[in-house]
Order: sequence, then C-alpha cells, then structure tokens
Amino acid sequence: MLLRPVALLALLIVTSGFWIFFSIAATGFTSDFNLFALLRFAAIQITIGFAQMVVLGIGDMSLAVGAIGGVAGMFAGFVMQSLGMPPEVAVPLALTAGILLGFGNALLIIWTRLNSFIVTLATASLITGAMLIVTHAKPFSNLPDSFTSFADGEVASVPVSPLVLVMLAVGVALFFLYRNLSLGREMLAVGANRRAARMSGLSVDRVVLLTHGLSGALAAVAGLMAIAADHTASPGLGSNWLLASFVSPAIGGTLLSGGLVSVPGTILGGVLLATMSSGLLLMNIDNFWLTVVLGVVLLVAVGLDRLTRVVGGAAT
Amino acid sequence: MESRALARFLAIAAVLVVAACGATPSGGGGKSPAAVAIVPGGPHPYFEPMRQAIVDAKADFSLSKGIFSVPTDWKQDLQNQLLTSLASQGYDGFGIFPTDGNAANGIVSQLAAKNVPVMAVGGCVQEPTKTTFCLATDTGASAYTGAKAAIAAMGNKGVLLHGTGLVTDPNTVKRIDAVKRAVAETNGAVTLITIGDIDIDAQTADTAINQALAAHKDITGIITTAYNPTVAAAKALRTLGDKRIKMVGIDDDPVVLQAVTDGFLIGTMGQNPYGQAYIAAYAINQIHMGCKKKSDAPYFIDSGTLLIGPDKIATYKDDFKTLTKSIVSGFKAKYLSC
Repeated sequence: MLLRPVALLALLIVTSGFWIFFSIAATGFTSDFNLFALLRFAAIQITIGFAQMVVLGIGDMSLAVGAIGGVAGMFAGFVMQSLGMPPEVAVPLALTAGILLGFGNALLIIWTRLNSFIVTLATASLITGAMLIVTHAKPFSNLPDSFTSFADGEVASVPVSPLVLVMLAVGVALFFLYRNLSLGREMLAVGANRRAARMSGLSVDRVVLLTHGLSGALAAVAGLMAIAADHTASPGLGSNWLLASFVSPAIGGTLLSGGLVSVPGTILGGVLLATMSSGLLLMNIDNFWLTVVLGVVLLVAVGLDRLTRVVGGAAT
Repeated sequence: MESRALARFLAIAAVLVVAACGATPSGGGGKSPAAVAIVPGGPHPYFEPMRQAIVDAKADFSLSKGIFSVPTDWKQDLQNQLLTSLASQGYDGFGIFPTDGNAANGIVSQLAAKNVPVMAVGGCVQEPTKTTFCLATDTGASAYTGAKAAIAAMGNKGVLLHGTGLVTDPNTVKRIDAVKRAVAETNGAVTLITIGDIDIDAQTADTAINQALAAHKDITGIITTAYNPTVAAAKALRTLGDKRIKMVGIDDDPVVLQAVTDGFLIGTMGQNPYGQAYIAAYAINQIHMGCKKKSDAPYFIDSGTLLIGPDKIATYKDDFKTLTKSIVSGFKAKYLSC
C-alpha cells in the first residue's frame, strides 16, 4: 500500500508554505549559498531515510543504517586513497559492501528469528567496532578531486548539487519498484501481514533478504554522498544517522509497523526538515530551539497522519 | 496522483531555485570591516571565554558584526548548517573549532570557494585544508609541562595517573605521547597509568577517575589533559581530603581553581580560548580588508599555555590578555602580507 494522495498533498502544501514563508522572512534563505547547502543536506538525509524506509516497509527496522553507511564510506575512502583506485572502482565496491552487510543482517534475522531491532542493534555495534579496529580510526582525507568536486558542483549553473540528482534518481527507482514490480508489492505484503504473506505462498525469507540488501545499498549510497560532501571519509561517519533515518520516512507517512511506504513523502519529509532547520537558523532563532521545534513538527506530523487515518477509516 | 503531486512540488522547488536571489557571501577583498562569527564544535565550557573575546574584538577592530554561536550538539552536520546559515546572513569570516577535525574540511572548502576566510580556533582542522590558520594550544607542549610539574612535585618517583580525552582525537594522541615522554625521562622511577576516552561527560569521568583511584592505592600523582577528567579528579581529591597525591589539571573551571587555591591541586594548565577567538577575529578582518597569508607563514600558531598555580590564580587572565595583545601586535608583520 502506498501513501494516500491527500496526506501527500497536505505535506506538500506545508513544505511549500514554509519555503514561501522563509523566502520572505529569513534573510539569505534564497541565496545561492543557502539553497545549495540546504538541498545537498536534504539529499543526504533523504537517502538515509530511504535506507530505513525500505526495511520499515516489510515491518522490520535497521539500527545499522548508520554503521553500514559509515563502513561503506570508509571502505570507499580506503580504496581511493590507500589503493589509489579511481571513484569508478571505489563506488561499486562500496555499494557491494553495503549490500553484503545488509544481507548479513537479513541472514541473522532469518536464522535466529530474532526481532530485527535486536539483531541490527548488535550488528551496528559489531560493524562499527570492526571498522574502527581495522582502520585504527584513521580518516581518509585525501580523496580524489574528481570525487569531491562532484558534490560541490552545480547543475547547469543552478545552485543544486549533483547529489540532489542522485537522490532523485534513487527515489524514482524506488517509486518504480513499489509501483511496478512484483518484488515491491511482495515487500509491502510482507510488511502488512507477514503471516498472511507466508500462507499465501510468498517466500518471506527471500523478501527479507532482498530488502535488507537494498537497505544496505541505499545506506552505502548515503555514505558515499556524505564523504563526497565532507571531502573526507571519517570514522565518525554514520554515527548520528539513527534519528535522521526514521524522521523523514515517519513525517512522509511511512508506517513504522510496515505495509505502507511513501517515496515522495520521504522526500518531502526530508525537504521539510532541512527547510525548517535552515529557515529557523536564518531567522536567528537561538539554534537550541531547533531541536524543540523539530520534535514538535515530528509529533504534529505523526499525529495528523494518525488522525487522517482514523477519520478516513484506514486506521491500522 | 502521487506522481503529479511530486512533479508539482519539484516544479515549485525548481522555480524557487531558479528565481533564487539575494545575499551571497560577499567574500574577501572588501574595504569595509568584516562580520566575524566564532562557531565552536558544540556546547562545552571551554569555549565560554570566546563569547567575550568576539565582543571585545568587535569593539577593538571596529568589526561590522561579531557573533558567538554554538551548534546544539557535537555533530558536524549541525555545525555545517550553522556556518551555512551565518554565511547566508552575510558573515565574512569564521573562527571554528571543528566538530570533526577531518569532516570539517567539506564546509571549509565550500566557504573558501566563496572567498570566506576560515580560521581553526582551539583545535586544528586536519591538513590538507583550506583553513587559513590554526590558533590553538600546543597540546603536546602543554601536557609535557604539566606532567613534568606533577612528577617534580611527586619527588620524581611513584605512580602517575593520566586521565585524558578521546583517543581518536589527534590532540589526545599528542598529549598521551607527551606525558609518556615526561615519564620516560625518569628512567623507570615513575610508573604511568593512562585512562583515555573519559572526556565524554562529567559522569563518565567521575566513574573512571574514582575507579582508578580505588584500584590503584599507590597513585601518588595525577595529570589530566581534558576538561571533565580534571573536574572529576579535583572533586575526588577534595572528597578524599588527601593532599599527598600531587595533581596538575587543565583549564580553569571554578571547581579546579578553588582546588588549586585550597592546595588539592598544585596547578592547572591554562589554555587561551579568549585569545584564540580574539586573534582569529583580528586575522579574519585583516584578510577581509585585503591582506594575504605569507607564503612561508605556518598553519599552526601557538596561542599560549600557562601553569596556573596558587600564585597565578588572581592574575592569569590578565597574563593571557597580555600575551594575546602581544601576538596580535606582531601578527601582521609575521604572518600576513598587506
């Protein structure tokens, strides 16, 4: 099941409203510099959100999104800096690492039949710890210019980083997956009712495996985007992604219990958060209030979504 | 319907982007005084003197604007957002303590591309970097001086406990090496116990210091090279009421200064956060007005350190201000070509 258009439209109106409000009220909001940074930040946050959204869709969750993204980013840094390989080699290798780590999570969930929360809580610590041991927590700061300049460039002289296009391409691919491919529908069916899906003949284990693999790949994409933007693969990469991974999908209407995802909603949720954050800072509202405001926005968004579900008779 | 909604949103966003206009960072080379922002890596008492430093710098150098703004948490994303926001509001230069000494290079490069000078204050950004200067304590020299003072007070023998910060922080590595060097010079007369990663918060430091004191009854000296372990150890020694353990701490928290006054610490290694921010504001303003960094000028500039014993408690702030004024007075000739 995909998110209802009414909720999506409401989110679109709210987001657009904030853009218009901040364009008028916040000095510098529409400056090239701010728009570039805002959209690039949103692109990375949304991609992190996608990595969580796909596992939420099957009724699981992954607390290892940040760990996988961090390892993929560090691995790409190692390949480019220490092995001297070009980004064309490092990027596929990092994506492969992300997929394999996602598969690892899935296999543990399938074999142990433990809750994905517990499994990924453990593997997140395991993955990050192993990375720190192997790298001695040393960053890779000399990444090729051809890689870092990709994040700093503009698209057709418009202040939009190519990373935004990467995020949109990923979003279109995910939308196509859920809308047009049987695998996408199987993912949502497993999330809506795992037992019913199994009894109707679906290979639930196969779906779980592929979904976590996809989540790993998406986390790796986010890791690559982040190291390109930071110009450095840092051992702390991914350590603060946990909240971000849940917030954009949750605001966008993805159900934490599974069976319902929204790709456009996750994009809008990420843009809304980045917009609020940037606008409030530009309005010189003490940035310690940002945390409070973002928490309120999240609660209101989730509350409104719940309300529309109840009123519309679609309560889960 | 969903695709139509998405398309509509993207169209609105595209229109806003294409129509974007307004304040772009003005960059260097201007003749009017700079608008300078000091942005720490996150909330920490160490940075508090910088708040006054930018106020004083604004008055002394006639800066057009001066602000001290702290990210809500120690996350590079948050510091990036804050810097972007301030640059969009027209700030011409920044003094930053990098949240992540490596990942800060991304935002620094972005600002440098707009000709916005950035100075590292309190801690350096990992080289290679577009940061112009790093104004910070020579952490290795400070730790060595402190360790030597503690060892001397111990009578050049005994067991020395070293409590320090994150071992992934390059500054911590320098501090650990410096203390090891000071201990090695005793030719085995002093034994070293090092506990790292305890500058996370007060509770972590409290637990670690008290456990170490309980487990090693033979400790006769303490050197701490991070803020929270210093406060924790100062409190622990006061609680024990035992002045036989000779301790040198770091920074000037009131708890630590009182412990020095009362004789529980022989001293604390003062750093110069006020001077770091003040000198950075001066340098940013000079570069904004058209000066360039000399080709042979170093990246790292020592902002000074001082062992604050009981005799220095009343005067150390003035001593640091005198040192700061002295660095500023020679800065242009030594490091800039105007």
